[in-house]
Amino acid sequence: MNGKRLSVGLIGLLLWLSGAWGVGSGAWGVAYALLPTPHSLQSPSIPAEGLAQAIAAAAPGDLINVQGGVYSGHLLIDKPLTLIGHDWPVIDGGGEGSVVQITAPGTTVRGFLVQNSGDSLDQENTGIVVEAPNTLVEDNRFEQTLFGIYLRQANNSVVRGNLIHSKPLDVPRRGDGIRVWYSNDVLIENNTVEMGRDVVLWYSERLTVRGNVVNNGRYGLHFMYCDDAHIVQNRLTNNSVGAFLMYSRRMIMENNTVAGNRGPSGYGIGLKDMDDAIVRDNLFLDNRVGAYLDGSPREVDSIGHFQRNVFGYNDIGVEMMPAVRHNEFMGNSFVDNDEQVAIAGGGSSAANNSWTVADQGNYWSDYAGFDANGDGFGDIAYSSERLFENLVAREPNLRLFLYSPAINTLDFAAKAFPIVRPQPKLVDERPFMTPIIPSQVPALPRAAVSWWFVAAFLLLFLALGIVQLSRLRQHPYRFPQLEKQV
Amino acid sequence: MRDLDFTTVFILAQKELRDARRNRWFLLYAAAFAGLSLGLAALALSGAGNYGLAGFGRTSASLINLILLIVPLMGLTLGALSLAGEREKGTLLYLLAQPVTQLELLLGKFVGLALALMAAIALGFGLTGLLIGVNGGGAQVTTYLGLLLLTCLLVLVSLSLGFLLSALVQRGATAVGLALFLWLGLTIFGDLGLMGTALILRLNVDQLFALALINPLQLFKITAVFNIRQNLELLGPAGIYAIRTYGSQLLPLLIGLLTLWIIAPFLVAIQLFKRKGVL
Repeated sequence: MNGKRLSVGLIGLLLWLSGAWGVGSGAWGVAYALLPTPHSLQSPSIPAEGLAQAIAAAAPGDLINVQGGVYSGHLLIDKPLTLIGHDWPVIDGGGEGSVVQITAPGTTVRGFLVQNSGDSLDQENTGIVVEAPNTLVEDNRFEQTLFGIYLRQANNSVVRGNLIHSKPLDVPRRGDGIRVWYSNDVLIENNTVEMGRDVVLWYSERLTVRGNVVNNGRYGLHFMYCDDAHIVQNRLTNNSVGAFLMYSRRMIMENNTVAGNRGPSGYGIGLKDMDDAIVRDNLFLDNRVGAYLDGSPREVDSIGHFQRNVFGYNDIGVEMMPAVRHNEFMGNSFVDNDEQVAIAGGGSSAANNSWTVADQGNYWSDYAGFDANGDGFGDIAYSSERLFENLVAREPNLRLFLYSPAINTLDFAAKAFPIVRPQPKLVDERPFMTPIIPSQVPALPRAAVSWWFVAAFLLLFLALGIVQLSRLRQHPYRFPQLEKQV
Repeated sequence: MRDLDFTTVFILAQKELRDARRNRWFLLYAAAFAGLSLGLAALALSGAGNYGLAGFGRTSASLINLILLIVPLMGLTLGALSLAGEREKGTLLYLLAQPVTQLELLLGKFVGLALALMAAIALGFGLTGLLIGVNGGGAQVTTYLGLLLLTCLLVLVSLSLGFLLSALVQRGATAVGLALFLWLGLTIFGDLGLMGTALILRLNVDQLFALALINPLQLFKITAVFNIRQNLELLGPAGIYAIRTYGSQLLPLLIGLLTLWIIAPFLVAIQLFKRKGVL
């Protein structure tokens, strides 16, 4: 009886909890679900397919309001106009070529659903091509467009608040959500790019890339030859590479959240021949490699700055090629990476890169020292010298034994018997005792939690049930004649 | 002659379950597993929570390490005590004086102990799952349940090996000693030896992978990593080699080998027990 009451109580608790937690769990990550679905409302002022005529009839500088409707065909905006869509008017490319082309400087396009471009990578079939400076592309949606927005020699343009989906092709056959080409002083802000290939920014100076979300693509952000770019508060998740920065100078990347970027490349951020880059206050979480450094910085008198970043829960926190030098790591938190810092091919980078700058080191979750004088810094140096990592650098095949208790034994033995202690990869003279957590970073979406409670309670029930099994009465050998007599 | 009656097996399994509830070793193992996995999860989550990362992925990594240490110990020692202990006490003779065959006795004991151990594992995973849920979960509850199933397989493997040791020797203490020795070998010395061999002989990835598969603990670990990541990149070149070579056949292969590790030692144990008798 007692057991039964207990089970009923547990079931009740289970249902209540899953209900209570279910409520909060549904709404994350899908901001576009709030947008109304496009519909073909016929506008009295401009008939369907009449958008081109309206543009032809307008004088430069005119404002055209577009009320709903579906406008098939390809649109050329060759005079400076302001096109404002209300109730999501649709511009449908019919599956061929690029949908909208802007050749007049000072044009604004806002509030449209642009859909169905062609799928030719050679011809770069695009939702909106901008080939003029000072253009504003704002709050539009892109569906089934190979490339989303393409800025080609469009200085001083702004791309803001757009939601971009490419075509559901294999990743290499998709186009870039946003591509910026020879366009200086461009602002890319608060856009969401999902299921695209890359967001590509090449040959453009003084870019600002702020508050964007790039999910489930190949390269979250791919910069080449972009001096003085400013990358701030973006969320780059579940791509092959979060951000790859190449061949640029004086780039600043700060307050970004870069998480879950995995795959054969799988870098949170990659730096290739980057001079005087500043990477600070970012979160690099759960990537294959948090930060990958190759040939950065390139010039002798240049320094790479890594300040107050969190490298947490990655397979490898920071990986660098053996020749990488002149990087300064200060105030970063290395939290529970399978391997905190890796030198590809083994060896020591201690001589070439600084891990203590201006008397401040970094936080290391595997630091075993102490802080007797209470100044917030460990009193003995942190040195990265796990024997297993050393062996893996020499013989990569041995990585197969990761998580094996033998590894812990090996590392313990190396500490206990210094004769087998490996050469340290790096030494941090002033390690922080507590991690520094950046505050101004975009939050990660919360996952649904109710199923965890369902599963947990089911398991507890199962355990209870097995215990109850031993109480179950069995009468295998009955003697009916005897029972009758009684 | 009657050889196998499932009612009898069930009654014997019930008896074994009842015994397990009174067995201090078993209770200690169950409490230790639940406590340690809860502690590990709390540790992993408290850190990850600071960054808004509801990461079962990290919890699972430390869980794998814990499971590799403690679960084989549970199965091996309890299995080792099962026959040898009762043989020493003379209760085995008493049991087999009843209308019970040796096969029924062995099966009943195995099922009973297996159920008891799985209850302990379910308890540990259940409590830890609650903690993860309270801390914001993570999308991969199916991965967690997958790890639970794999852990059950691992405990069956070690229980089966424990039975083999138990059927092999006369005294309980000897059986437990052997079990501890085997546990050390499987968790630590086997891997260390293989690592040394790989370093000295410059083994190829295919050779290394094949040799690693001999150890059921490595089998479990590789399968668990695959369960969490859906690939084996984490395990370096050997992992990538395995995926390239076996592709979608990899998971059935690993599970099949684990199952083989359950069945084969138990069959040998049955033969030994039958040949050796109760004394």
